[in-house]
Amino acid sequence: MLRIEGVVKGYRDGPVLRGVDLTVGPGEIVGMVGANGAGKTTLIGIAAGLRRADSGSVCIAGIDVAAHRRRAARHVGLAPQELGIYPTLTVAQNLECFARLAGLRSAQVRRRVAEVAEQLGLSDRLASRAGELSGGQKRRLHTGTAVLHRPDLVFLDEPTVGADVVSRREILDLVRRMAAEGTAVLYTTHHLTELEQLDATIAVLHSGRIVHTGPVADVISRWATTAVTLRFAHAAPALPGWRQEGKTLVPRAPVGEPGAAVGRALAVLGARCAELTGVEISRPGLETAYLAITGHTLTEGDDSAHAA
Amino acid sequence: MLLISDPGAFLASIAMPLVLGAFLLPVTRDQLVLAGRTDAGGEQVVPGMAVLFGFIGVQFVGMLFYREHAWGTWDRLRASPASTLEIVAGKAAPLYLSQVLQVTVVLLAGVLLFDYRPNGSPFAIAALVVVFVAMLVAFGVMLVALCASMDVALMLGSLGGMVMAGLGGALAPVSSLPGWTRPVARATPAYWAIDGLRAASLDAARLFDIAGDLGMLLGFTVLFSLVAALRLRMDDVKIGTT
Repeated sequence: MLRIEGVVKGYRDGPVLRGVDLTVGPGEIVGMVGANGAGKTTLIGIAAGLRRADSGSVCIAGIDVAAHRRRAARHVGLAPQELGIYPTLTVAQNLECFARLAGLRSAQVRRRVAEVAEQLGLSDRLASRAGELSGGQKRRLHTGTAVLHRPDLVFLDEPTVGADVVSRREILDLVRRMAAEGTAVLYTTHHLTELEQLDATIAVLHSGRIVHTGPVADVISRWATTAVTLRFAHAAPALPGWRQEGKTLVPRAPVGEPGAAVGRALAVLGARCAELTGVEISRPGLETAYLAITGHTLTEGDDSAHAA
Repeated sequence: MLLISDPGAFLASIAMPLVLGAFLLPVTRDQLVLAGRTDAGGEQVVPGMAVLFGFIGVQFVGMLFYREHAWGTWDRLRASPASTLEIVAGKAAPLYLSQVLQVTVVLLAGVLLFDYRPNGSPFAIAALVVVFVAMLVAFGVMLVALCASMDVALMLGSLGGMVMAGLGGALAPVSSLPGWTRPVARATPAYWAIDGLRAASLDAARLFDIAGDLGMLLGFTVLFSLVAALRLRMDDVKIGTT
């Protein structure tokens, strides 16, 4: 449904995408992960026809997006990272507006507005102004406006940012339901557990390229390691074999015996152990898999990746 | 839907000319009497206020476009199957209708409140309103195309509109302004709108008699539309406020 080949994109301060290849098939959920500034939103913008790649191609349902944007757009639903709803309109009016924009006719509009509101737990807020909704409800509405026309392909760029637990669950349920009905989904998030819950195919975007793709289970079994973190009250001290990340120390290489590694570190730290505020040993998961694949941690809110 | 959901500014754009008109009526009537129109009423102030506040109403064009950027909905419009023309026309059409309504209500209120008794053809007045508002909307879209921020667009629209309206005779007859302003006034669309409305209000003008004014207003509409079409970039980042 979505085929991205060799996409390159640069801005004034340098290249962001250096030849991205990615496919998403019908009914598949692809979770794209990468550090802030990796180019996830740029790639989605190119795929949705909002900006042009410097080179490469994007095809949606076999249609070249650059050459036939409007035809390709009929197959697409987009919920950008930035919230985009009309705060002065009611929930129902917002849904109707985007339904008509997507080309639905009046009878279809009414039915789909009711269905999507029900699926996202907004049926009792249809008459409320969108500006009066909670953050999580706004996120649900924002996501709902992207799927009214049952698109073949949906781009969800960090759809659960700022969402509460209930909203997150509703959105994930909606994504699962869409995929079960055959919709291809490209989903970006910093919450890697969401991708585990969605049983998504992981695509790791790093240094401008997709450096790894694969099912969640395979990625974890192949790459994930036990994670060890030492937390300090102030700036972490230097320790051979460990990388300083602000107030934490993490091993430079995967550790086979986390307990022994911690013991050796504490012995070397000596009196500086008094500055420790916490020692964490985490089970293998997508976080450690991401670190192993890219050599970087995936830290939400950071503007730069911390190199191994 | 957006204009109806937030009608405060629109209602103010109808109320303000009527309030200002009430204060200006005595002096504008005296100006007409001095010019030999001994039975004059609101034939200077009502068209003048309609034109002046028509220009000030250009702010609605800015609001509807820039707010889309502030609300995050502009990229959603661009990502839809709608073409650029459909998106712009979809915003311009309701603005056009609301501006026609605004100008018409001001003129009709002038009849009821300010003794405005145009002696010309109502079709001539209607044609002027239709074409004048088309020019206003084109002017507004041109400002959107040229200005990165809503504040700059609104400032240029309001200030520029007031200057053009003043030079064109909206606040005082052109004949009462300094001589050097008259050639400058002819270069503004407001002059031709006021000239046509004045003819239809005081000189019993029919549609044919104001063809020149209509033609000039249409010319300005085409000019502003061309500049907008050449300069408008859908992927430009605009700074709006909510």
